[in-house]
Amino acid sequence: MSFRRFTERSKKDALLADDIEAHFGHEVDANIARGLSPEEALRQARLKFGNPRVTRERVWEYRSFPWIEDAWRDLRFALRSLAKAPSFAAIAVLVIAVGIGANTAVFSVINTVLLKPLSYPDPQSLVFLTNTGPQGSFSVANVPKFNIWRQQTQVFQAVAGFDQAGAGLNLTGGNDPEQLQGVHVTADYFRLFGAPIVAGRTFTPTEDSPNGGHVAVLSYGLWKRRFGGNPNVVGTNIQLDGHPYLVLGIVGRNFVTETPADLWLPFQFDPTSRDMAHYFRVAARLKPGITLQMANAELKLAADQFRSTYPGALGPNAGFGVAPLQEIMVGDTRLSLLVLLGAVTFVLLIACANVANLLLIRATARQRELATRSALGAGRGHIIRQLLTESLAISLAGGFFGLIIGFVGVRLLLAISPAGIPRIGPDGSAVSLDANVLLFTLGVSILTGIVFGLFPAISSSRMNLSSALKESSSQAGVGFRTGKLRSLLVISEVALALILVVGSGLLIRTFMKLQAVDPGFDTHNVLTMAMSLSGERFQQTARVAQIVRDGTERLKNVPGVTTAAAACCLPLEGGFGLPFDVVGRPKGNDPNTGGAGYLPVSWSYFEAFKVPILRGRNFTEHDDGSGPGVVIINEAMAKKYWPNADPLNDRLLIGANMGPVFVEPARQIVGIAGDMHGNGLNRDPSPTMYIPVAQMPNKVTALNSRIAPLWWIVRTSLEPHPLSKPISAALREASGGLPVAHIRSMDEIVVLNTSRQRFNMLLLSIFGASALLVAAIGIYGLMGYSVQQRTQELGIRMALGAPASTIRNMVIRQGMILAVIGVIIGVAGALWLTHFLASFLFGVKALDPAAFIATLVLLSAVAFVAVWFPARRATRVSPMAALRFE
Amino acid sequence: MPLKQTAVAGEVLQGTLDMLILRTLLMGRAHGHTIAQVIEHTSENALEIEQGSLYPALHRLEDRGLLASDWGLSENNRKAKFYRLTAKGRKRLIAETARWRQMTRAIGLILGEPAK
Repeated sequence: MSFRRFTERSKKDALLADDIEAHFGHEVDANIARGLSPEEALRQARLKFGNPRVTRERVWEYRSFPWIEDAWRDLRFALRSLAKAPSFAAIAVLVIAVGIGANTAVFSVINTVLLKPLSYPDPQSLVFLTNTGPQGSFSVANVPKFNIWRQQTQVFQAVAGFDQAGAGLNLTGGNDPEQLQGVHVTADYFRLFGAPIVAGRTFTPTEDSPNGGHVAVLSYGLWKRRFGGNPNVVGTNIQLDGHPYLVLGIVGRNFVTETPADLWLPFQFDPTSRDMAHYFRVAARLKPGITLQMANAELKLAADQFRSTYPGALGPNAGFGVAPLQEIMVGDTRLSLLVLLGAVTFVLLIACANVANLLLIRATARQRELATRSALGAGRGHIIRQLLTESLAISLAGGFFGLIIGFVGVRLLLAISPAGIPRIGPDGSAVSLDANVLLFTLGVSILTGIVFGLFPAISSSRMNLSSALKESSSQAGVGFRTGKLRSLLVISEVALALILVVGSGLLIRTFMKLQAVDPGFDTHNVLTMAMSLSGERFQQTARVAQIVRDGTERLKNVPGVTTAAAACCLPLEGGFGLPFDVVGRPKGNDPNTGGAGYLPVSWSYFEAFKVPILRGRNFTEHDDGSGPGVVIINEAMAKKYWPNADPLNDRLLIGANMGPVFVEPARQIVGIAGDMHGNGLNRDPSPTMYIPVAQMPNKVTALNSRIAPLWWIVRTSLEPHPLSKPISAALREASGGLPVAHIRSMDEIVVLNTSRQRFNMLLLSIFGASALLVAAIGIYGLMGYSVQQRTQELGIRMALGAPASTIRNMVIRQGMILAVIGVIIGVAGALWLTHFLASFLFGVKALDPAAFIATLVLLSAVAFVAVWFPARRATRVSPMAALRFE
Repeated sequence: MPLKQTAVAGEVLQGTLDMLILRTLLMGRAHGHTIAQVIEHTSENALEIEQGSLYPALHRLEDRGLLASDWGLSENNRKAKFYRLTAKGRKRLIAETARWRQMTRAIGLILGEPAK
């Protein structure tokens, strides 16, 4: 097609006029030649030619972009006609804004977590190495596994190990010692993740070997904060745990790690180590052209090789595999985000139904206007297009406000209620407004406008011209068809709202059940804090035990402190696990009797958490290196492994087959402690072994000090936070100057542990409440309109003696019938849909009767209120006024 | 907006009209009035078109490059726009004519007329 047709329209029109003028001239000439008078000649010419204006208009139209120009005209008209009905426009835009806002909110999180690629170069080729098995796959590693994975050079370009900055480091050598997050990494780490280096360099393989020396690479944040961004810090020494560390380089600002890092240290592990305990993770970059399947096939062979090199270290069903880095980082968040997306789609559908209803009502009131336009020659397509333009104007305005509501709302919510969602940054700061979110909102807005606009547009364009024109404006279009359509929309609104409210009811019940779980220990008035024991000083159990003893002693003298204890880890925050054997019990085919949690604790641990000792005895201060080895197990372990026997008669051999680090003599089981919900309030307590800190093998202490800090647990008589200063000071004195970090009360940790459930519950409750509100507006609007339409009928009824109560009940019955139909459909839908929520529920079934009944009552009450007001208005109809209404 | 209605009615004839115009210009350049006259006469007045509808067709054909035009003086000494066939227009006419013949022949066969 030639573009020429759209250029120089006015000029061409003038020329066309000349051309037509010439045509007339010739025709007149010809007519005169036939003997006609000049007047008659002109008249005949005109008759023959038709209207020259029409010809010019047709050429003009042919030279226009009809679609764009019509759209522009339609848009101006739509805005004018919306401006004439400001309250309608405001309500419609608001309802759509709520619907789109909810979608934008959830999508912006999904975009950040699931859609945005990781910020590393070529992120698709990055994988985590995992241990596969019947229980699922776990991305954890030890040195022998790392070694064999690193040898798979056919599939991997680079393989790197890194820990989670568990233990922390103490930056000393100034007036202000500070605990830092130091991530231990292998030499290939920076190359693997494509870390930008702003100054200096990273570790060499030599520096990452056992005697590689004290070296460190600083993060951009630490460099700016502690060293004023001075590049000369490269090549100088900083003091970590009292030792000088040479600063090799500085990593750029944009390098984001899963575990926030202040600095990186070389792992420097002994490559000949045979320790089987998992204490770090391994990532790799696939070679170009290597797929996950190919890598997995290669690792299957590697697993066989590993099994023959280290007999007993890998179970018969266990193996190795790879999983995309992003998938592992996102974990089970994916499912919960998709469920939320489903929920907000419902909210949007309800909003659409509502606005469609408003539009139908409005179209009825405008029937005369539309009929007039139709009579003036507007085709049905024109009218539909005009009405659609109006709904698009509404939905785009709604989309604009929805974008603001949704984005601000989600950031606010994430800031108030940490959701425990990966990749969203502190307080959700990584949730950003990018092209994806904008396009999504625009697309949803347009789609929404079409969805809620098309139905009313088609139905109102389908009218009988003459009857519409003849009827008076107030009477027009109380048609059966649109009436039925409106009822249908209200019914579906109620049904969708019910499903959402049942869903949020289930999550609220879940959260209440979680709150009601007895954690097995007293979480109130307990302050916890971490002390980093990194460095050579703490490779010996005796040194750690000494600090624990001194610290406990000093804390006891702090006013307000009642008990103090120390442990490797805190409940609800994870911990270690090791295999164990019951001495003298046959193992059968398995390498060990079983596996259980492994928690080194100080003697006052159970006292500090108020955990009862059910049988046997508690630890004492004398259960140390000089005494015989002892262990306390929890009730869950006793029940599982001694169903018909007394564990107190048995001894445990812990960590057999796990390599030389864990070798130790068998320990006597001296007591059974009450169960703690250590793995999360929603999980049943699992078998756990408690070991006195003072009795750990030296090598385990050394490993422990490297991968985890020592946690202090301080029970106070009052609210604990005001005591954090004297407690920190006491611990610093007792430890010879070690700072403490991560000061939190145990109650805060419990809140953190349920944050995901709280976030899901809050979000779904907000959605459910908005759905309920919008549905109520829908019922109210429909009934109010119907009462208004029937004013005359009601007036006659009253004039004929119908009592007010009859009128009222009639309106109420009519509205409630719609609500009840909606509720029935909604319940059916909810029965089916709630099973998608099953994995988010705790302590309630997907078909929880309480949630269903409560929702039914709530929804019926709301529907009743929404019907009540129009019904009351119906009784106030004055018969005289109503009859004069015409 | 009511204008659209007449436009729709005209569209049916549009393809035919295009062909007639091209056919007329095969004999040489001509201005609009001549073209209208020729179409009227050669079709034995069976296809009496509203002369006004000729002009949109002329403009469309010119934009497509099937016609070219220039202004000149007519035999009556009037300033008029003369249209002529371009090479592309000639090719199109041949193609259209062949297509038309084929179609009329097919219709003829269906209606039971003996093929010539």
